[in-house]
Amino acid sequence: MSLSPLQLCLLFSSALFCVGLFGALARSNTILVLLGIELMLNAANLNFIAFWRFGGAHAPASGVLFAIFSIAVAAAEAAVGLALVIAIYRHQKNIRLQDASRLKG
Amino acid sequence: MNYGELFRALSPEAVLVAGALLVLGVDLALGRKKIAEARWNAAARTGILSIGLAACFTYAVGASGTAFDGALVLDSLTRATRFAVLILAGLSLALLPGTVRLRHPAEFVAIVLFATAGFTVMAAAQNLLVAFLALELASLSLYVLAGFDKSRPESAEAALKYFLFGGVSAAFLLFGFSLIYGLTGSIEIPAIARQIGHSPGSPLLVVALVMVLAAFGFKAAAAPFHLWAPDVYQGAPAPAAALIASASKVAGFTLFARLLWSGVGDATGQAPLWMLAVAILAGASLMLGNLVALAQRNLRRLLAYSAIAHAGVMLLGVITGGRFGPAALIYYTFTYGLATIGAFGVIAVVERAGRCDTLEDLAGLHRRSPLLAGCLAVFVLSLAGIPPLAGFFGKFLLFSQALRFGGLSGPAGGLAFLAIALSAVALYYYLLVLKQAYVAAPAAGCQDSIRVPAKPALALLLAAALLIALGVFPGSALGLAT
Repeated sequence: MSLSPLQLCLLFSSALFCVGLFGALARSNTILVLLGIELMLNAANLNFIAFWRFGGAHAPASGVLFAIFSIAVAAAEAAVGLALVIAIYRHQKNIRLQDASRLKG
Repeated sequence: MNYGELFRALSPEAVLVAGALLVLGVDLALGRKKIAEARWNAAARTGILSIGLAACFTYAVGASGTAFDGALVLDSLTRATRFAVLILAGLSLALLPGTVRLRHPAEFVAIVLFATAGFTVMAAAQNLLVAFLALELASLSLYVLAGFDKSRPESAEAALKYFLFGGVSAAFLLFGFSLIYGLTGSIEIPAIARQIGHSPGSPLLVVALVMVLAAFGFKAAAAPFHLWAPDVYQGAPAPAAALIASASKVAGFTLFARLLWSGVGDATGQAPLWMLAVAILAGASLMLGNLVALAQRNLRRLLAYSAIAHAGVMLLGVITGGRFGPAALIYYTFTYGLATIGAFGVIAVVERAGRCDTLEDLAGLHRRSPLLAGCLAVFVLSLAGIPPLAGFFGKFLLFSQALRFGGLSGPAGGLAFLAIALSAVALYYYLLVLKQAYVAAPAAGCQDSIRVPAKPALALLLAAALLIALGVFPGSALGLAT
């Protein structure tokens, strides 16, 4: 069985998304959770590029545009996320998610 | 492509962003020598002014079709959502002076204005890229607002939890959008809907739809994606929690409904799969929200679970609104937002005078401040849906639509019956709040009366008056949305 380039790309991006989701759910270190979210976003970017490149005659470049914008959004998200990590570090002197459990009920 | 037309369509957002920069600039230039109270007053005043100006521009833009090659749509739904969002954001800004002890007033107000700009673009978006960018602008601003109180660890924790849930849901949304783009070759919602209408449904499209639904379920705090809501409502500063609970919901539901009603949801042909999925979310939210709220002793967590239950009713409105028009859904989300902002406003003022965590901290509120207790009664009774307040009429509209939608036996009718039955349950925990405020005697040590600052008092009275007026004359608001 031979796969087309588009199918290979989609398989790869789905795998990347699952790895990212696993990282986001299973890690206790906040930075590693952020990395997982970043992997999920990049899997989606890969999809956009792959569909644009291999997906037949589409509207000009909207897939690439979407990827460029979402990279910028991901950068902003990382900035906010790291700022929040610092804010939590100031209070509990570590960034373990298990220790961030004041709010419950 | 016409840039003049684009500027006209986005003039409310331009005013909001200019207002945000103005707030920052004025505080930088003049705020150094003033005391904190004066800086909060100045920042909030400028913010409310720019929101009012944005509302004028929204009126001037009107309902004039599409702009920028169909990326934005300016119809009556856009206009009504923009007005609703601007009013709610203005009210939460008016709560600020005199109630919060936060540093950096200008930054707080500026970020509220950025979030509001995100909400108003969400109201007009008709293109997946614009929708995603607007949603992220609003979400990133809200994460910062939730964590704004740097002195309290709860605030940082609430913001981190909100951010992590929100980040994962944004990734789901983007992945879903990328699949939709790949399968239909377009990012314009009408073109996508046309393409889906032509071709038979594909399993990949169902995956995409489920991912998008999960992301919106998070945004709307619908079960089972609700886990962030109680923590964020509890930990965030009260005005930030008010904005998260009200304006963000109105804008999110408009965007969600626009996506599904256009036909993008009809991925599997005749029996729309999305209606079934949304119905499951709605039923789960109604059950979980109302039943778990019974066990809450913390006022903010109680409001959060009531928000989850209300999200269930709003999802019912998403199911039926495609056939009967958006007016009822907008009316319900807007009046819910008003009542929630009011409740958080009361919490903010009481917190300034002491603690306001558990229900018992409200004990004897009518003796400590008759104004606050009266406003709280209006807000809570409107949330519970007691006539003649607006909450009753919103529920009535949505339930009657649901019963007309598929008759008594359909899933929408069944959900309406479930919601009506659970309203009785909800009345119990809402009355618990009022019992503390009106019947219980003040606890020893906090019996002195509460001073209500002028601007928050005005905001609370305005919200209560709007709830009563919209309940007595619902036709005027509904006319705006249709």
